[in-house]
Parts: sequence; structure tokens; C-alpha cells
Amino acid sequence: MSDARLKWLLLPAGLFVLAVYAWPTLGLFRNAFNETGPTGAMVETWSLKTTAEVLADSFTFELTLNSLWLSLSATLLALALSYPVALFLFRTNSRFRGLLAVVAIMPMLISGVVRVFGWLAILGDRGLVNSLAQSFGLITAPMKLVFNWTGVTIGLAESIMPYMILALLAGFGQLDRTLEEASRSLGATPMRTFLRVTLPLSLPALALAAGLGFVLSMSAYITPKLLGGGRVFVLATEIFEQATTNTNWPVASVLAIYTLVLLLLLLAASNLAARGLKR
Amino acid sequence: MSYLELSGLQKRYRDAVAVDDVSLSVEKGEAVALLGPSGCGKTTTLRMLAGLVDPDRGAIRLDGAEVTRLPAHKRNMGYVFQSYALFPHLSVARNVGFGLEERRVAKAEIARRVVEALAMVRLSGLDQRRPRELSGGQQQRVALARSLVIRPSVLLLDESLSNLDAKLRDTMRHEIRSIQRSLGITTLFVTHDQVEALTMCDRIAVMHRGRIAQIGSPEDIYERPATRFVAEFVGRANALPATRDAEGRVVLWGERLPVAAPAGGEFDLFVRPQRIRILPISEPVADGMARVTGKVLRSVFVGDHVEVLVEGAAGQIQVELQSGTALPQEGAEVALVWRARDTLPFPRETA
Amino acid sequence: MNGAGRVLSSLAGLVYALILAPIAIVVALAFSADNFILFPPSGYSLRWFRALGAHGPLLSALWLSVQIASVVTVLSLVIGVPAALALAKGRFSGRDALTNFFLAPLLLPTLITGLALLLFFTPLRLTATLPGLVLGHMTVTVPFVIRMMTTAFSTLPDDIEAAAATLGAEPWRVVRRVTLPLVTPGLIACACLCFLLSFDETVISLFLSGPRAATLPVEMVRYVEGRTDPLVAALSVVLIVATLIVVIIVERLVGIARAVGK
Repeated sequence: MSDARLKWLLLPAGLFVLAVYAWPTLGLFRNAFNETGPTGAMVETWSLKTTAEVLADSFTFELTLNSLWLSLSATLLALALSYPVALFLFRTNSRFRGLLAVVAIMPMLISGVVRVFGWLAILGDRGLVNSLAQSFGLITAPMKLVFNWTGVTIGLAESIMPYMILALLAGFGQLDRTLEEASRSLGATPMRTFLRVTLPLSLPALALAAGLGFVLSMSAYITPKLLGGGRVFVLATEIFEQATTNTNWPVASVLAIYTLVLLLLLLAASNLAARGLKR
Repeated sequence: MSYLELSGLQKRYRDAVAVDDVSLSVEKGEAVALLGPSGCGKTTTLRMLAGLVDPDRGAIRLDGAEVTRLPAHKRNMGYVFQSYALFPHLSVARNVGFGLEERRVAKAEIARRVVEALAMVRLSGLDQRRPRELSGGQQQRVALARSLVIRPSVLLLDESLSNLDAKLRDTMRHEIRSIQRSLGITTLFVTHDQVEALTMCDRIAVMHRGRIAQIGSPEDIYERPATRFVAEFVGRANALPATRDAEGRVVLWGERLPVAAPAGGEFDLFVRPQRIRILPISEPVADGMARVTGKVLRSVFVGDHVEVLVEGAAGQIQVELQSGTALPQEGAEVALVWRARDTLPFPRETA
Repeated sequence: MNGAGRVLSSLAGLVYALILAPIAIVVALAFSADNFILFPPSGYSLRWFRALGAHGPLLSALWLSVQIASVVTVLSLVIGVPAALALAKGRFSGRDALTNFFLAPLLLPTLITGLALLLFFTPLRLTATLPGLVLGHMTVTVPFVIRMMTTAFSTLPDDIEAAAATLGAEPWRVVRRVTLPLVTPGLIACACLCFLLSFDETVISLFLSGPRAATLPVEMVRYVEGRTDPLVAALSVVLIVATLIVVIIVERLVGIARAVGK
């Protein structure tokens, strides 16, 4: 196939990405320089007034802390749960390995709304956990597990796990089984082998997976919205509120760009960490 | 003008030169091998011929017409790939008929020629199989039939036998050669295997670092290598560091040899191990013979021949004797004798 | 050391239970006879499936989602597959930069893309319309198709296409007779995932949906926000079964980990 003519096949997709992705994204940046007039109508201008207002607002600061804290706890929880699964999939000789890998990844293909609904049924006032605890007499009044930070953290952790398992599996590529065998042959117990060989070697993979999980958590909207029941405020929910309910586009745009910058910094940090750990 | 003419072909990839000024003329019906180590540019040359790689410079002429810039699908060259490159989704018959279908040949005609081609490569009856259901040797034959059925102007074979085991390779060598001869088809083989080149071709072009080092008949290449590289690459040879004495005659291991010394610089003598005879040290030698003495280090039986290693004043010489001949004792002092004209002096390479 | 060991296997088993819990619970709940979310249900019935069959807004949302996902899949393949072919087989300068350009939309969270599209579409009156939703979903699916098919095309051995060319096939004939047939499994898997991505897309749809045009996930979000009864569980079972079918097809054809991973 002649190479010069192949280039033209890029044209439709190129036009699409330019018109429906690149141009609107530029528009988002443009909107951040607009202002909201006293009536709530948007005023087209080129000013940093909205940016200054948003950055000076203590609510922005609170949202940022909320987002970071939520993402951190969800990521750590997901990491702790994903690591054994990924290591298991990496190590196992089971003939069901393929099936088990599919099951681990499958949740990312099932609608987020469906999974959130499942968590409502597990963690709700009359859900699985509370009815079990009550039937064993552990508690008298139901525990509040959803429509608060606990529920959102659990739901978010579950939703990012498939991505983190994939990232960990990809990162384990350099984890040579013979190194563990060498450690065992030199007299180390399985636990010592894990602590001295396996864990140090998988640190770069863990850093990358953590970075990915953190970014996904920061930009998640559905889970905080539904499992938070209107009581959990993070950057993502605020962006959506400002854009739709309040139709305050300049503020929504500034918040979106602000979030994007945070994400980029976090990604850069996790890549740096992964590289540093690899050495 | 010859049937196929390559003149001044050159191809660079970024910083490396793959093919550097290759010129070659091939007569109609001739079989020519491009022989060389991997990375010498032989496959790139073949791909330029097929139109799969565009040359940076130079020209390709086929039957008087320039085809240098003609796209692959208009060249009518049969190419047998090292990987065979059979279409995995098509049956053997559809694979073989592919080129005819592209030429809009009538259905009945295609069927007839496919049967004919499969019979020629002795695969009759396998026409409905899929490629993956065939052995390596059978796949190779399908690939060959697929390239021959289009009656190509030139048949190009790229390391076509290298994926087969040794026995099968032997059979295929003879089969391909006899098909090539009976069809009288102009053929270019790319190979790194000298036996393949020596047995299958009328002429051999030895390639080295993107250039043709020597071109000639198999005998020429073997008996009269033009460069040190050709002598080393084709067949085996002892490379013996020699000197000149005051009168300018060649001295090896302290003995004068009746060999003409090359002009200037340090040099080595190349002698093929099977051209050397081992004689008792007392035996006189005739004129025109080279003779040195040494001690037998060891003899190794290799089946169809015996390898004897002899250590002399300044190095070792490998001798190949036919098995069945009397073996010299290890440690025995012997004379090594060969015809002076079997000695090839080449300047020392300054690496 | 052979295999995963007992400690690790048990740990992984526990996590698997956790991963599957919400899905298993939803399925059980769909057959509940109760009026509200109660687990375990006090009785089992098919009443919520019957209720689903009579729920107009959810059914019309389901229909809209099927329409959108179908159009999105066709359009994304039509413009994504040729681009992937060019990126995988072309040898023009700037190819790597172009690849990055086409995959860039996958890097940006849909929250940001959704907002950008809302701002862009509102003056064009494209919000809450079928074309608007289709275009919105395509910002996700087109880069996805390009990524998946570029990999599929690049793993084809070049020699097979070269062979077709030496046998006299013109470039477009090579694509039609050799390249496309050989990537058919990948193409089908890609189409299935593309459909699923559009069908499940929630955030962009939430930005772009109005009362007139709401996709199924949007309608579900609204329903769950308002009430909690097992009706959504019954609907979820339908979605889970559909997803499982896609997962099985994709796993059989190309392997799911390879298709969704990088």
C-alpha cells in the first residue's frame, strides 16, 4: 500500500477530533475568562476575575481537600485489595486463570449505575451488612454506611479496582519468578521473600497504579453523587452543579481547569515516583 | 542487454546504508544466488526487485523496460517469503489461485492452472486444506506454487528453505532446482547458506556490507575467491599469517613457499583444509608444492571426514582427510603438503 | 515455588467476593417481592420485571440508548478504522505525533469533555438531541476504536500483505481481500465494546441530556436519586446479561484484557 495515500484515511477522524473534541476543549478554556454578571447571565470578556474569585473562595479549598482526601482513601483501599488479586493472577498456574482475569476486569464494563445500586443494597440501612449485623445482635440501630463518605469511599475503591489490577499486571512484567525462587533457595521464608524481593520489585507498578487510581477517583462523578446522597461535596460534583443547575459556566470552566491542573501534577508525581523506585 | 539489469541500486535507512551500489545482470532462465551473512543487504535488494522497497538511487530494468518505480502489484514477480506469508483465511486452492483471480482470469482456467501448479509441487488433493493444517514443508510448496502459477517474469526466493529441517531442506533444494530448470524461469535466491547457493544456482553473487563482493560460478567463488571476505565466508579456510624474506618470497613457519607474494603490507595465506595432505616428514615433494612441518595435536572423527589439527612453528593448521585413510598418530612430526596454486594470499585486514 | 500459594489465593478469593458482591446482590434483588431495597428479600417474585415492562420512561430511555449506541458504533468504526489503518501501516513523517493526537481524548476525564461539549453544544442547540448525544459519545468511542484497531492492524505480519501485492493485488484490493478479513475478529470485538461504551456512557450523557432526550443510564440515575426500589435491579439484570454477552464475545475473539488494556 502506498504510504502517501494512506494519510488521507486520517482525514475524517482528524476533522472529528478537531471539531468535536479539540475545539470544544479550547472553548472551555475560553469560558474560564468570562464573568458572571449580577443577574447570573454570562458576560463575555477576557478577565481573570472569575479565576480569582474561585481561587479565593474558601469553599474551593474545602472541595479540594475533600477530593484529595476521598481519592487518597479510595486509592489506598483499592490498592490494598488489588495487589493480592494482581499478584495472584500473575502467579497462578490455574487453568481458570483466563476466566479469573476476566472476572477481575469485568466490573469496568458493567454500568457504574448498576454497581452503585448494588452498593446501596449492601450498605443501605436495610441492606446486607446492617441486616446481618442486626441478626447477630452486634448492633441495634442500623449503621450509616451510605449517603456519607464511607459509602463513597467503598464504591469508588471498587470502581477503580479493575483499572488498578490491569496496571499492576502490566507493571509486574519485570517481576521475575526466578528471583523469588532464588530467594527461597537461599533460605528465606515465603514472608521474608515477599518483603525483601517481591514487594520492593513491585513498587514501581504500585506507584503507577496508585497514580491511575487517584486520577480516576478525582474525576469520578457518578459514585460521589449517588452514594453521597447529596451530602458529599467534591470538585467533580461541584463542577457538574455549577454547569447544569446553576448554569454558571465561567465558574464551572475555572473549576474544571483547576481540577485538570491538579490531575496533571498528580500524574507527574506518580510517574516520577515510579521512575525513582525503578532506578 | 541482459533480461534483468540492476544498476547502482542504493537504499539507506535513517543512518544505516542497507544496500550500497549494487549492479547485477541476469540472463533469461538463469538462477542467481545472493549469498551473504545477515545484514549484508541481500533481502533489501530482493525486496527492491519486487517493488516492496523503493530504492533511493539506481535502476531496475526487466526485459528492456524500466520498472524501478513500478508498484509491486504491477511487476509480475513471484516472491516466496521466508515466512511463506500464506493467507491464513483462504484454502490452499484459493491461496494458489489468488494471483490469477487478481488478473481476472476465467474461473475454469484458474481451476485448471491451480490443479496443475499443485501437481507440480506434489500437493494434489490438499487443495481444500487451510494453511495452518499443513506441515512446514507443505506450506513452503504452497507458497512456491502460488508464485509460479502467475507465470512470473522473475521468481524471487527469500531464505525460503531456512525454516525447514535439514532433511527436508535437502529434498526441497533439488525439487526447486529441477522445477526452475524445467520451466526455464529466471530466478534469484537470497540465502545465507552456502550449500544452498552452491547447489541451486548457475551463478552466485556474494554480498558484503551492502555491496557485491564477487560474482561468478559456484566453482569460481569457491576456487578463486576475489576477496578475503569471500574466502572466509564460502567454505572453510585456514588463514595463515605469512611473511616475506629478503628476496621477496613467501615464508610460512620458517619454510619458503613457491607462492607469489602480494604487493606491500602484511598478509595471510588462505588454504582450504581438504586441499592439504599429510605426509611422512621424510617424503620428498614435487615442484609447485607447498610444504611445512608440524606436530599432530589431535584428530577428530566427524563421520564423513576426519579433522586433524597440526601445530607448527607459528600457529595451527586444520586438515580435513577422507575417513578411511590412515590416521596420523597424535604427537607425530608430519609434513603438510598442498599445491602452491591452492594457496590464496590476501592482505591482512586492519580492523 | 509453584502457583500462587495458599495465603495469596485465600486473600484473592476474599477480594473476588467483594468485587462480585454488588453484582450478585443486584441480581438477587431483581427477584425480590418487597416494595423497597431489603436484603435478603422477604420473598421472591418476578413482579419487578413486570413493572419494568410497564415503565414508560425507562423503556423509552432504553430504546434511545440502543439507537444512540448503534449509530455511534457504526460511525465510530467508519471513521476510526481507516484512521487506524493509516496509523498502523503508513510510514509518513509525524505518525507518532498524529497517534498521540488521536488518543488524547482518552486521557481527559469525561467530566471535562462533558462540560466542554455542554458549552459547545448549547449555542448550537445540540444538547438533548440524538445528534448531540451521538457526537458526545463519539469523543470516547472514536479514540477507543483507533487505539484498539491500530494495535490489531500492527500485529498483522507485513509479509502477508506484501505477498498479496506481489501476486498482483492493487492496494485497496489488498485491504479488502487480506487486511480486513484477517482483522475481522478484532473488528467484531471492537464493535461490541464500542456499543457497550456508548450504551453505558453516563457522565457525558448527564451533561447533554434534557427532559426530552435521556439515555438509559441518565434515566437510571434520576430514578435512583428519587426512590430506591428493586425496579432498577431488574433493569440492571438486563444490562448485566447484555454486558456478559459482550464480554464473552470479546474474550473469545481477542481476549478482554488485551482489548481494554493499553
